[in-house]
Amino acid sequence: MRAILVGLGAVGARSARQLLSSSSISELVVFSKRAAGADAKVAALGGAGVVRPELLSDASFSYALSGASVVLLAAPGLRFRYAEESVRAGVPVVSVSDDPGEVRLLLDLDGEAAKQGVAVAVGAGMVPGLSCLLTAWAVSSMDELSEVHVASLGTGGPACARRHHAALREPVEEWRDGAWERKVASSGRELVWFPEQAGADCYRINRPDTLLIARTFPGLRFATTRAAASRRDRFTSWLPMLRPPHPEGTVGAVRVEVRGLRGGAAETVVVGAVGRPALLAGTVAASMAIRAASGELRPGAGGLASRVEGPGEVLADLSERGVRLVTFEGAAMTPAQ
Amino acid sequence: MGKGSGRDSGKAKLKLLSRALLAVGLTALAAMIIRIRGSGGTPPHGGGWRELSATDLEPVDKK
Repeated sequence: MRAILVGLGAVGARSARQLLSSSSISELVVFSKRAAGADAKVAALGGAGVVRPELLSDASFSYALSGASVVLLAAPGLRFRYAEESVRAGVPVVSVSDDPGEVRLLLDLDGEAAKQGVAVAVGAGMVPGLSCLLTAWAVSSMDELSEVHVASLGTGGPACARRHHAALREPVEEWRDGAWERKVASSGRELVWFPEQAGADCYRINRPDTLLIARTFPGLRFATTRAAASRRDRFTSWLPMLRPPHPEGTVGAVRVEVRGLRGGAAETVVVGAVGRPALLAGTVAASMAIRAASGELRPGAGGLASRVEGPGEVLADLSERGVRLVTFEGAAMTPAQ
Repeated sequence: MGKGSGRDSGKAKLKLLSRALLAVGLTALAAMIIRIRGSGGTPPHGGGWRELSATDLEPVDKK
């Protein structure tokens, strides 16, 4: 099968490595905006004869689309037109975008994708992405779902860091009792304990996890998304980034707390993952791309929780690929509401 | 006495006001610095994290 990868940043590079390690991918076409440096990155991937670097343009993308089995969009900026073109050509799409605006555009492809019988996996990174899969797995053990609270620590590459910086100053929409409530940017401070990390102050952040989870689970009453940030991050979020972001990102984590009912009794499940965010995101994206190429994802556009049949099986696959999945056992924390 | 002492009184009041404003401003700046550099504190918690096994990730039958 031929896979198309758009973007060779921190997440894209890790996705490429995972795709090349799969026997089902016979050719990988890698699109990059800049020729300089792309050749060196492609060479570092290995896979001689399997990887074909290309300079990204509308014409080159359209040409490569013919005969492709999946398109993985791992580049910052609005790549919606590539997703739209792919869906029209009957090629499934996996997007790692965590920009709420772009996510909404991708979700609008639901009708067209369902008609074409292809999947558009939206938000296939760490958060959203792994957070959605963990939510789906936790929900599968419950009779009734009530609340989902997602928190994340760390960022991937420079594009992720820039998006995180911008998201801290943008108003946030929370899902509460069947309606969206607008909240002030970076409000709602809550101390969150992440796996294998110290506690971190987390604040509301404009990310599409809540949107994707609320669409997937209609009975959901309350959903929030937070990210770890220092007071300095919040204070300077309205300024341009004062220093260049880390090229790789340090170790991060994602924590999902799901509350509901099981057997008539209240149940709380806290699950998470720990690792370098770019690596976690790249692994999730590649895994979804392989499944999309094999026709294992449900047709239509939606978050990962709505596209996979069995979240446990997907998480087991991620675990085999090196993603550390953990669950909290003990006294659950009560999130500030 | 007269205009001279009135001007002196006015200058004194202005000096007092400017000193008060300076004190308030410095206090606010100190509070801002402390707030920015401060930490979030540590809540009590119990329990710990356990790695999920393949058995944990198998489909669960709801009863």
